[in-house]
Amino acid sequence: MAPRLEAEHLFKVFGRRPHDAVERLRKDADREELRADGTTAAVIDASFRVEAGEIFVVMGLSGSGKSTLLRMLNGLLEPTAGRVRFDGQDLTTLPDRALRELRSKKISMVFQHFALFPHRSVRDNAAYGLEVQGVPRAERVRRADEALALCGLAGWEKSWPDELSGGMQQRVGLARALATDADLLLMDESFSALDPLIRRDMQDQLLELQKTLKKTIVFITHDLNEAMRLGDRIAVMRDGRIVQTGTAEDILLRPEGDYVASFIQDVDRSRVLTAAAVMDTDVRGDEADCGCETAAPGTPFTELCAISARLSHPVAVLDEGRALVGVVPRQRLVGFLGDERGEPAACDSDGGRKVIGRA
Amino acid sequence: MPRIHLGDWVDSGVDWLVAHLSWLFDAVKAVMEGMYDGLDSVLAAPEPLLMAGILAVVAWWLRGLLAGVLAFAGFALVDSLDLWDQAMSTLALVLVATVLALVISIPLGIWAARSQTVSATVRPVLDLLQTMPSMVLLIPAMLFFGLGTAPGVVATLIFALAPGVRMTELGIRQVDAELVEAAEAFGTTPRNILWRVQLPLALPTVMAGVNQVIMLGLSMVVIAGMVGTGGLGGAVNQAIGQVDIGYGFEAGVGIVVLAIYLDRVTGALGTQLSPLGRRAAAKSRTRAWSYRPRPAVALAGAVFLALVAAGLGVFGPSAGTSEASGADIGKGKEIRIGYIPWDEGIASTFLWKEILEERGFKVTTSQYAAGPLYTGLATGQLDFETDSWLPTTHAEYWAKYGERLEDLGKWYGPTSLELTVPSYVKDVNSLEDLENHASEFHGKIIGIEPSAGMMGLLKDKVLKEYGLEGTYEVVDGSTPAMLAELKRAYGRKQPVVVTLWSPHWAYSDYGLKKLKDPKGAWGKGDGVHTLARKGFAADNPRVGQWLKDFSMTEEQLTSLEARIQSAGKGGEQDAVRAWLRRHPGLLDQWAPVAKDDARSQAAG
Repeated sequence: MAPRLEAEHLFKVFGRRPHDAVERLRKDADREELRADGTTAAVIDASFRVEAGEIFVVMGLSGSGKSTLLRMLNGLLEPTAGRVRFDGQDLTTLPDRALRELRSKKISMVFQHFALFPHRSVRDNAAYGLEVQGVPRAERVRRADEALALCGLAGWEKSWPDELSGGMQQRVGLARALATDADLLLMDESFSALDPLIRRDMQDQLLELQKTLKKTIVFITHDLNEAMRLGDRIAVMRDGRIVQTGTAEDILLRPEGDYVASFIQDVDRSRVLTAAAVMDTDVRGDEADCGCETAAPGTPFTELCAISARLSHPVAVLDEGRALVGVVPRQRLVGFLGDERGEPAACDSDGGRKVIGRA
Repeated sequence: MPRIHLGDWVDSGVDWLVAHLSWLFDAVKAVMEGMYDGLDSVLAAPEPLLMAGILAVVAWWLRGLLAGVLAFAGFALVDSLDLWDQAMSTLALVLVATVLALVISIPLGIWAARSQTVSATVRPVLDLLQTMPSMVLLIPAMLFFGLGTAPGVVATLIFALAPGVRMTELGIRQVDAELVEAAEAFGTTPRNILWRVQLPLALPTVMAGVNQVIMLGLSMVVIAGMVGTGGLGGAVNQAIGQVDIGYGFEAGVGIVVLAIYLDRVTGALGTQLSPLGRRAAAKSRTRAWSYRPRPAVALAGAVFLALVAAGLGVFGPSAGTSEASGADIGKGKEIRIGYIPWDEGIASTFLWKEILEERGFKVTTSQYAAGPLYTGLATGQLDFETDSWLPTTHAEYWAKYGERLEDLGKWYGPTSLELTVPSYVKDVNSLEDLENHASEFHGKIIGIEPSAGMMGLLKDKVLKEYGLEGTYEVVDGSTPAMLAELKRAYGRKQPVVVTLWSPHWAYSDYGLKKLKDPKGAWGKGDGVHTLARKGFAADNPRVGQWLKDFSMTEEQLTSLEARIQSAGKGGEQDAVRAWLRRHPGLLDQWAPVAKDDARSQAAG
């Protein structure tokens, strides 16, 4: 199946003679080298595919070019080189009018600082995209109210943006993006401006919504924990280049290069990893024969620890057909937390000598 | 450094424009005057208190009860100062200028906000318009548009344009870029981004600009008064010209009332128009004095008052023209007299207004500064004026405009120019005495406008002849400033030497001593001449003849001036009528009517 969204060798260069700069970048010129000439290479040779119904997270520090990349996906910025294909249609060749049409109907966006219109009520904000589409008033009020209800804002329709808390404002932003029934949702650091607790709430809500709505989402963040929580797949950007693309586990367990490796050091692994990632697939076959508690491949790491604590032997992992797929010894759980993959070394003392406490 | 002849280029540029684009200027002028006349007649039509009521209801609606009451009180005050008509014509002038300024400045501001190039181009032009002294722009405006409302509107417009453009640009530029991006991200067209996002959010700033436009317009009104726009600006100019502090203050108060009213009302209008402002206003608690009627109620109130106005058929008092009682030679033909507010000018102007109206002409008089007056005559906007001092004092104007003017001869003379000291200054009786008393006068001679012919004569000739160069400095200023300084020094009995001329009312008000001129440096006296536009005498042979034959004695002139002075503002023509009654026969002497007049006029 063709991907819903595809970026092919995207470049974005700001400044003088951008096309020359792209040529130089293709010949492995350095970003710093260009900066000396007064041109800024924001995105360098970025390629990826996003499947329908997938949350694709682009993760990178500020200045890594992720916001620029996002704005090329809906044509707010024109790529200096490369192509963006959405449903097989090349956005880079579309005229302005068609591009606007596409943005109003098929692609919507949620912003970091909410970008709600202060002179419109919550309802009129949510209905904005529909208004641009030219939907009649009664229908757009109905659809806006539905979107607001979906985001947990029923009853707030007549309020004004500045009367809401940050989290609620971003729900309005989300409702505005959902109201148009766009297939592709671009989210630019959408939860970064929120308090940590509210941010979690919003992440949960987004995941909950995604279960039913199945939108295709490109989510930008600088927070790796957020990327791991939300992303079906993650692209890590550094200095305008995508340095690794993969699932959360790929990134965590098989980081490509020092940069990604240093990045993942601070990640709370217990939130990301599941039984499938940590289990030992080298099984004898009889581990699940006892009547003890078992885990599924999707069981989160923390739950796995809890099960392990209740058992005296490794936890058996069974798939949907109750077939044994792996085991998780306690030692392995501890090793993953400490980022230690090796087998335990033998203790160098002979078993007879005991350490005597000085009472 | 080579001399750059910028002035000459501007001169020829203006000449070229006048010669080649007059159709355009005429069209613009017609539009402006049409707007002004329409608005002015609407504003001045109802009874003053009724109109004050309508204006008060508007203030009540936009700002609350207290504002409404104060607005009514303010306008009632203006009416009781007898300045109602002037105030309404000023209001009309400012509103027309504001509307035109906004029609130009808001689109320009929007354009500048969207294009860096336009912004960079427009900015220095605005700086030029805003800081160029307004009189400098007023004179070319007059050449283009003639005298009257149009150059006043244009001068006001030019001056008031800048804040409108700047504030619109600023308002749009300071709309959060993320909001604009959000609108783009939802596929909004550039036009709709402007209408749905940028303008609504920029509105408070734009309205602050509108407010500034109006305020600057009002401050220009006084200057526009110099080109004959009349209104409160004309009243202020007249008061300044005659050092009439009280009248000047009254007219000033009228401008202040208008300014405060317009400021508060446009401020409130900004709040009402902007969705954010409306919401903030709705949140604040309503008290009795801030109670505002709903728009429908307010509209109904205003309409009701307007209907009352119309129903009563109360229209402004018709212009106080006297019925033609003598021979009807003019048959309602219009004659436009211009004057500079100098006493002999006022006296002779209103004398001729009365005489010509007696003879059946329809006469309009309007007041100008000297430059605009001569320009008006030269361009045929005015028919004649009676107060040119020739050949010396107004020589420069004659040199510049003489070719396009007709000299109808001298009616009073000789005049004299002199340096004058108060009579309590004992030892100084002649120009020769000045040299030894320089320290007493602090080495200063209080002069008048540097452009006056008299000043050139003083600096170039008189000081030289009497060896006063170096010991005395001539202080440039203005006639009112000179008179004020004379009054101040006179009140404190301080020695002062001023430039003065005869006839002048100062000689009757103060004890003054003209310094003798044994060397004849001031030259022989001028005559006061009547100047008409080219072709006036041919168009109006009878009037031309009357003016050519006209002459007054010193006794006649000073007694007429004294009577006008005591009659006060607005009473000039009544004073002239009373004075003519006291001097029977003068009317027929100055404007003789032959028995066969009716026929010869019809034939001519």
